[in-house]
Amino acid sequence: MKLYLYGIINSSDQIKEPIYGLKGSNVYNIPFCDIGAVISEIENPIQDVTEGAVLEHEAVVEKLMANFAVLPARFQTIIDGRDSLLSMMQSYYRDFKGNLERFHNKCEFGIKVIWPADKVKANILKVLKKDEQKILESDNSSSKRFIKKKFEGYKIDKEFEAKADKFIKVMDIFFSRFAAEKKLEKLKTKNLLLDAVYLVEKDRENDFREAFGHIKSGPLGLKYLFSGPWPPYNFVVLSKKSDLLRDSEQADLFDKVTRCQALAGVDSI
Amino acid sequence: MSNAVVKSKEVTLLEILDRVLDKGVVISGDMVISVADVDLIYLGLKVLLSSVETMEKLRGSPFISPMQEAK
Repeated sequence: MKLYLYGIINSSDQIKEPIYGLKGSNVYNIPFCDIGAVISEIENPIQDVTEGAVLEHEAVVEKLMANFAVLPARFQTIIDGRDSLLSMMQSYYRDFKGNLERFHNKCEFGIKVIWPADKVKANILKVLKKDEQKILESDNSSSKRFIKKKFEGYKIDKEFEAKADKFIKVMDIFFSRFAAEKKLEKLKTKNLLLDAVYLVEKDRENDFREAFGHIKSGPLGLKYLFSGPWPPYNFVVLSKKSDLLRDSEQADLFDKVTRCQALAGVDSI
Repeated sequence: MSNAVVKSKEVTLLEILDRVLDKGVVISGDMVISVADVDLIYLGLKVLLSSVETMEKLRGSPFISPMQEAK
């Protein structure tokens, strides 16, 4: 039997309320030391990535988020049985613990900001042309005109980026005050000015929303997409690549698991 | 269902896909059964859904919180 992984939680206890996962399967926690892997049993990997399956996965992770710190697993993470799951938990234990501590009582918010790139560039060009006119009037040499032409495109791009930086800086000042961590991506496409995610403490959620409200109602005239609270998908950092266990480590594995279970008060897994 | 609500739900789905298919804990190694198709499907969806054109279509309606809308 394969195990479908929804996420890692900061608890080795069984989940109290019943949660149903993919295809209505029963979701439960497999403890490892003081953390747990939340899984359901699955016979075969899902062949089709359907909207329904993705939503079912996300629904489980969101339910977990209500009661635990959770590291959401990527969709379609399927482990080849319990022994493999325990090997994986052992390999990643420190990483998982570190992330779970960072995420304690926090959630993720996403902010996308769209600006009218063509309009912005047109305005920049207008200003440049004005300056150019002044220069041409004072110095109408052909070499000067050539250089101006040559660098016009470059200047537009440079000014475009500078404007983007300026807008992002203003917005980020508002949001960063209430965020523990952030990731910002500038100009993913020319219209997508900012694609940002912020990790926010749950008790600062309202402050963060208010900050967004201020920005949204401000004079910048941009379009916004605000989403959340999310499980912290964007902030999971795993430093350790999963290694195949060496023989000696393999031999120690079950001893360690047994010790962990004893510490956690779990009889069997 | 109003057009704005439909668009809002599309945005919600895009946000979910962007996270669930591409982010979070990614385990590598022999213990994990890899499903390589997910990457390809994700790539296709990303191109389809997060293109500027798609975002531009949403400009007609106000960007309210899609999570709130979905719940």
